[in-house]
Amino acid sequence: MTTRAEFLTRIRTEMGRTRGLFQASPSPRPARPRERLELLRRELSERWPENLDRFTREFERVAGVLHRVREAREVPDVIARIAAERGMRSVVTWHGAALGVDVAGPLAARGLETSAAPDVEVAADERVRRRALAARADLGVTGVDLAIAETGTLVVVSGAGRPRSTSLLPPCHVAIFDRDALVASLLQAGLVLEAWHEGTPPATRGASINFITGPSRTADIELTLTRGVHGPKEVHAVFVEQGLPGVRRG
Amino acid sequence: MSEAAPATPLRERAGQALQDTFLQQALTIATTKFIGLRREAFGEFPEGEALRDQARAIKEATLQRLDHWIERLVDSIEARGGHVHYATSAEDARRIVLDIARRTGARMVVKSKSMATEEIHLNSALEAAGITPVETDLGEYIIQLAHERPSHIIAPAIHKTKGQVAELFERELKRPAEPDPEILTAIARAELRQKFLDADMGISGANFAVAETGTVVLVTNEGNGRMVTSLPRVHVALMGVEKVVPSMTDLAVFLSILAKSATGQKLSVYTSLVNGPRRGGEMEGPEEFHLVLLDNGRVRQIAGPLRESLSCLRCGACLNVCPVYRQIGGHAYGYTYPGPIGILLTAMLNGTESVKDLAHASSLCGACADACPVRIDIPRMLVELRKEVDEQRIAPWPERVVFGAFGWLLRRPALYRLSAPLGRLLQRPFVRAGAIRRLPLFFGQWTRTRDLPPVAARTFQERWADLEREARP
Repeated sequence: MTTRAEFLTRIRTEMGRTRGLFQASPSPRPARPRERLELLRRELSERWPENLDRFTREFERVAGVLHRVREAREVPDVIARIAAERGMRSVVTWHGAALGVDVAGPLAARGLETSAAPDVEVAADERVRRRALAARADLGVTGVDLAIAETGTLVVVSGAGRPRSTSLLPPCHVAIFDRDALVASLLQAGLVLEAWHEGTPPATRGASINFITGPSRTADIELTLTRGVHGPKEVHAVFVEQGLPGVRRG
Repeated sequence: MSEAAPATPLRERAGQALQDTFLQQALTIATTKFIGLRREAFGEFPEGEALRDQARAIKEATLQRLDHWIERLVDSIEARGGHVHYATSAEDARRIVLDIARRTGARMVVKSKSMATEEIHLNSALEAAGITPVETDLGEYIIQLAHERPSHIIAPAIHKTKGQVAELFERELKRPAEPDPEILTAIARAELRQKFLDADMGISGANFAVAETGTVVLVTNEGNGRMVTSLPRVHVALMGVEKVVPSMTDLAVFLSILAKSATGQKLSVYTSLVNGPRRGGEMEGPEEFHLVLLDNGRVRQIAGPLRESLSCLRCGACLNVCPVYRQIGGHAYGYTYPGPIGILLTAMLNGTESVKDLAHASSLCGACADACPVRIDIPRMLVELRKEVDEQRIAPWPERVVFGAFGWLLRRPALYRLSAPLGRLLQRPFVRAGAIRRLPLFFGQWTRTRDLPPVAARTFQERWADLEREARP
């Protein structure tokens, strides 16, 4: 079996034999990504309507459905309406603190079978039970850690109270966001990722970061576009105009 | 040498493909569609051209300090509780994956689409060890059920009709199926959903790995990559060493151009950044995360003639524009990687001998170099491969003799001038209606599927001489 040392030695030997290299360097990285991100956020906070427009256009191009509400407390109504229109009965959601709004209580009160993820470590058999619940659920409700206008992309970071399966297993995904999640471009998202990784990364968040651009799709049979092959068939985003105060992001 | 040579010669494989009318039609439709979508995507993205240059510079810079970036990647992954393994050959890689599977008691494995696992023929090794591999990308699932191999890097089953897929599902899954992509996709969803939940291990490739953060990046449209990396208790990612990129800033550059080149999407539906095993408080995620770093002929090319092909992103853009690929499709190439870049990768993985025919399966038109998001000069390397094939005397002898004679003649202008009248004399019995349709002996190979233009009544040199004479006062 090859060891790390042997493997690296082979690479170094070949590097030593390389001739005629041209000058090349990787992308310059921000020295203090978090500070840079703060600056960017201030700029973005003035341009959010324009970024939301762009996001909406691109999100709709990839078959996403955007809903707008004024206040956070209107969100459960939107979700209940989506469920009712499709005859959906069961909902799994992220923990309330990761959403920035309590949806589990109001949805249960409207008669939907609702289960919110706990934000602490639970035993293995409980994890299996909850995964099975998500696999059977009609609808999954998550927050959004980043929304990229240029591509109509929702970014979700996994962690305690933020199961990966919520945006993956149910056939319908509803994501809740506000203006603070918006960035203009993929390159700006790169800066956010740098900032998230600066210093010691959080111990309970970020094992899996997913960029979601519309519903799951395939064109593998005769190039015919078909949605919902493994992931959700539908993706909805709910924009809260007055914001989600106290939401925990990234 | 990791892959067995195909059983039949290239000429025969290409001939079969050319007679397959469905394949011809499917290739034309698919490649034309991909070309259009790609053009549209970059048309809407004026900064794309500069980002392509930047992406290429990042690849080159990473290669120039590959030892450093690999060490950085390994340290970052280990700091997160992940494990890294080193595979010099395809056999090493198979053994590493099998060892992990045996140790963790894996009986069934779900896989997301990975050319690297195709390259090392992992599935047959797993099966031989009594472990069931299940391909979960819809296209890969179809060809696995059919016991075939992918025919396109990103659209592995483009050679199959919906009718064939329906028959296949009825036979293999014992389910009633109709030749409707929507229905067939729903069947695959139901079949595979249970596999994801039951699987003991997930195996994926990697589109990139970010050294600074220890992140393995997977790009998919279906969501199977997310399932494979989140649901089973063990996740193994297999990746060629050249896929490492330094930072998240660099990653953003590649993400900006990859999907646009591959399918014309601004971004694929799912880009998954995997940072090691499940963390405390998480509901899902593997308890064990392994990265297998694969050499298999790549490292040798750091200082080798195929170095540039180490920048390849596996987007498939060069396949779609290649006049040869568009005619013969992926299977005719005979190895894991088809198309123009595939010829170079085949030479890299299996040695020059393996491409003695394939090195010529290109018109050298340069469309591949134009389409490549990182501007790999594929035609240049194909020409070099041809030269090497010639120098190693592994080209067929009639070809060597003819080209040798032609080269000798070109270096002797006086004789060359004589060759035109001589050619006109010799071709006389063969010219029919302005074309040579059939030549005798082994020259007949050339005219079997195409005409040879005869030597012109007046060659360019002769006409030039005439013009000079006329221009004289």
